[in-house]
Amino acid sequence: MKGFDEIQQLWQGQKPEPNVSFETILQHIKSHRTALTKKLFWQSVAVGTAVLTALWICIVVDFSTWTTYLALAIMVGCIGYYFANQLNDYKDISRSRHLLSKPQDYINYLRAFQQKRNRFNTRSYVVYEICIAVAFALYGIEMYFILPFWTLAGIFIFVVFWFLICHFVFMKQYIKHENMRIEEMIGNLERIKGQFRDR
Amino acid sequence: MRDQRQLFQQLFEKNSKKVYHLCYGYTGDSDSANDLMQETFIKVWQNLDTFRNESQFSTWIYRIAVNTCLSYLRTAKRRTTDELNDNIIENYAEEPSEKQEQIALLYKSISQLDENERIIITMVLDEIPYPEIAEVAGISEGNLRVKIHRIKHKLTEIYNSNERL
Repeated sequence: MKGFDEIQQLWQGQKPEPNVSFETILQHIKSHRTALTKKLFWQSVAVGTAVLTALWICIVVDFSTWTTYLALAIMVGCIGYYFANQLNDYKDISRSRHLLSKPQDYINYLRAFQQKRNRFNTRSYVVYEICIAVAFALYGIEMYFILPFWTLAGIFIFVVFWFLICHFVFMKQYIKHENMRIEEMIGNLERIKGQFRDR
Repeated sequence: MRDQRQLFQQLFEKNSKKVYHLCYGYTGDSDSANDLMQETFIKVWQNLDTFRNESQFSTWIYRIAVNTCLSYLRTAKRRTTDELNDNIIENYAEEPSEKQEQIALLYKSISQLDENERIIITMVLDEIPYPEIAEVAGISEGNLRVKIHRIKHKLTEIYNSNERL
């Protein structure tokens, strides 16, 4: 039988010590910064390329209907919206003021952040899907004047089929998985939040 | 920049061991504790210029460490307490002295406490003053004293029952 004082003595005489040196931390700070900068850089390059390609198509190709230009604008808008959201969330999670707040406030923030991300990854996708479908439909008007009827009909059926598979199979699975994951995460955060209540 | 590096080195040397203990007590495994300690000090470095002299450096670092530990569950794989406990025993299996076994048992007992209890008790065991622990945990000192009394009792009971087993 040990009393708390003996347990404390045991703790203070323990060997476990960090095996991470100061130099290793400094090295990690440098590589961490570089890795994040690289990730953001390549994401920006990808988005920039997509936007520039759309603009280039607008200038170089002489489309016969205004609907195609609108379709391209919708596509660029969707890409821009997605990128802006990713960037914003990244900035938000790395902001120091949350990290320095009281544990209970920090847990509140994490919970709100996870819910926001979940909404973005699930519900906002429907809006995104509708926008892309509208863009395809608008582009279809241009194709109607160019392609033979049966070719256009074939492409139309393929696109509709693909959209239905994405919506009813892939997205349903993704949302189910994401909701289960988020519920577990929120449940854990709720439990910990309860422990830090000042009562 | 040089001053900042020097300050950071001092902070690291003074606090790394205690931050590691806090992370070890929270996760129950040395690899995760090393990762969390590293992550904590990366955040300390990134926020060094935002430090206001409203609290001590150590309090500020512990707050970052606690929040880093709390956000650990966002990425941690689901592990049962039993798995955690096996891990602790394995970590100490290399040096099976009686004292090492007792320390392994102590970490096993800490891992059976609630998350906030683990954080509070590791700071108590490291003799961090109560007002500082209260500030880190974001609760009043009066409430903290009550909690500490309860946790000490709980830990002693768990430890002794694990020892009997």
